Amino acid sequence: MTETPIATATATSVVTKPNLVSPDGKIQVLIAMQNIWKTYDMGAEKVHALHGVSFEVHRGEYVAITGPSGSGKSTLMNLIGCLDTPSQGDYWLNGKNVSEMDDDELARIRNQEVGFVFQTFNLLARATALHNVELPLIYGGIPSAKRHEMAKQALGEVDLTDRMMHRPNELSGGQRQRVAIARALVNHPSILLADEPTGALDTATSYDIMNLFEKLHEDGNTIILVTHEHDIAARAHRVISIRDGLIEKDEQIK
Amino acid sequence: MFPRNASETIPPSDSGFTSRISLPARIRANPFVRLAAIWEAFFVALGSLRQNKLRTALTLIGIIVGVTAVIAVVTIIKGLDQTVAQTFSSQGSTVFTISKRPQVITSREDFIKYNRRKPVTQEDAEAITRLCTACWRTGVSVNSIQPAKRGDQKVDAIQVRGVSPPSMFEIDGVTIDAGRFWTESEGAAGGDVCVVGPDVVTNLFPNESIDRAVGQDIWVGGHRYTILGVHQALGKILGLSRDNRVYIPFATYKKRFGVDFSGQSFSPSGVLVVFIQTQSADQLEAAQDQVRTIMRNRRGKTFKDDDDGFALETQEVFLKLYSSATSNIYLVTIGVAAISLVVGGIVVMNIMLVSVTERTKEIGIRKAVGARRNDILTQFLIEAVMVTAIGGVFGVLTGFGTAWLIALAIGFPLLFSAWSAVLGVGVSSIVGVVSGLWPAWRAARLDPIEALRAE
Repeated sequence: MTETPIATATATSVVTKPNLVSPDGKIQVLIAMQNIWKTYDMGAEKVHALHGVSFEVHRGEYVAITGPSGSGKSTLMNLIGCLDTPSQGDYWLNGKNVSEMDDDELARIRNQEVGFVFQTFNLLARATALHNVELPLIYGGIPSAKRHEMAKQALGEVDLTDRMMHRPNELSGGQRQRVAIARALVNHPSILLADEPTGALDTATSYDIMNLFEKLHEDGNTIILVTHEHDIAARAHRVISIRDGLIEKDEQIK
Repeated sequence: MFPRNASETIPPSDSGFTSRISLPARIRANPFVRLAAIWEAFFVALGSLRQNKLRTALTLIGIIVGVTAVIAVVTIIKGLDQTVAQTFSSQGSTVFTISKRPQVITSREDFIKYNRRKPVTQEDAEAITRLCTACWRTGVSVNSIQPAKRGDQKVDAIQVRGVSPPSMFEIDGVTIDAGRFWTESEGAAGGDVCVVGPDVVTNLFPNESIDRAVGQDIWVGGHRYTILGVHQALGKILGLSRDNRVYIPFATYKKRFGVDFSGQSFSPSGVLVVFIQTQSADQLEAAQDQVRTIMRNRRGKTFKDDDDGFALETQEVFLKLYSSATSNIYLVTIGVAAISLVVGGIVVMNIMLVSVTERTKEIGIRKAVGARRNDILTQFLIEAVMVTAIGGVFGVLTGFGTAWLIALAIGFPLLFSAWSAVLGVGVSSIVGVVSGLWPAWRAARLDPIEALRAE
């Protein structure tokens, strides 16, 4: 376990806001999970997907979350991505207590703070690459001229300037994933959250995408990658291993 | 290695910060939020409708049929109402009548009571002419249906109207088209002369102009009459022509067909009706009071008698009766037509539910990148309203078309009102909102995780 000198997340019933900035101002806590439980009510019995998980992610980190299927890593990813809220515990994302938010507030957080990259890309099939990238900006209320400009810039960053007007079915798997990455980044979110981003790609393309993630990390983006592939996880700087709803290992590898 | 936007997102020294940032306030503060999402919803809806052309067409038909039915029924009813109103007011609001029994009798008891009354006679009419100072013109009229022929041309039923004096034509609102009316002396003499309606000319003088008919003879009810003139067309009322008439002098009518003074319930010959006209509408009430007094005196009625012993009627009374009798029928008819609109709404709801199910994944993606419940709700509502509004526009057009065809077949003037067009599109849009609301609400409430998992 990597103990950080910044915060001491205590699991009490009192909501404690963690200190977000180290005394010297160099390290900033972006994600603070405090004793997170997720319980699913399956009729007669309750299934605990997460049993009190606590960890922090600093701004600029590149974290891989690994674990076998059923370990709770997907549940954790949904919580980090604000698609779901914990049954217990507090989740602070960029200074906001997300665990208490309602649907629409979560939608706003997903729009502003989180950039999603999915295994199956999840692009709108009928929309062009440009429109797909614009989508978060539309729900963020950015006027259309600014929207175009931002989306074009994001597509440029993933080297797809010449494919802007193509629909997903006219693009290769790697290109689709790059459109998805452009969409995730277009709103300048606090975290880039990728769920098995190379799961649907061949090895060569996978390495391209991983190189892209590395570049994005060097640009200063905070990246959290969920994967069950060890070689992919090995590209990250910190690996959190989940097993049976608990953190098994949390190690800095670079 | 430094975050892109650290400076703007990390509040300085915020250890005392405990409350959440009010997000709704921030959302409301941004005027572009709704507009951008609504535009997106609009284009998505348009794209979706274009994508599923067959489905859109079927949904449209559902709505079009409903709106067509309602618009056609409303238009026809308005046309009929207008025709009836015009017909009854062709004699103007200055005319009222005195007769033995009213035009509409609603019970057997009344019918028996009215039949016991003394008949209204020509003497009554003369007394009114003499004594009523508020009255302008008085006339008598009596009707019956008779067969007519000329050479080989035969008509089974023609309305024969015995009138006197000739000013009765003016009270009736009849003007001459060819030839002339008879003079006062010709009428009093009981000559075999007549003025016919244009339909009579059409039926008995095929392929001949109305001018050629003047001066010729026709047979009506077994007697021969010389046509003095042809009156101008009055049009139809409820598909029944008012131009299939033969006017003859009252004296001639009395001689040939007789006037029912006997008090028999159904006499083959007609019943005498006195027509009274005032110079202006504001004299009508005074004239009615005078005529009522005169008639009651002639019948020997005192203030103790409830029944006048005659019927005093204006066309307005008849019109009111007509409205009260038909308004319920109209409401029921419109209601029945509206059922098809309800069916159209159910079709839309069904299609929208399919659309939501089909696009669950899309909803998941939109929610994942920040679409709120309202954004999704709006998207599907706009789609539903778009279909129904377009259906409404087409429905109004086909509704007017249908009404026009029916009007052409029956023969009455049509009133295309902008009001009913707006109503048609408006109602169909409301149908869109109502039937789209539930599917849209279901879409808006979808759990993003579940939605993303859908295929």
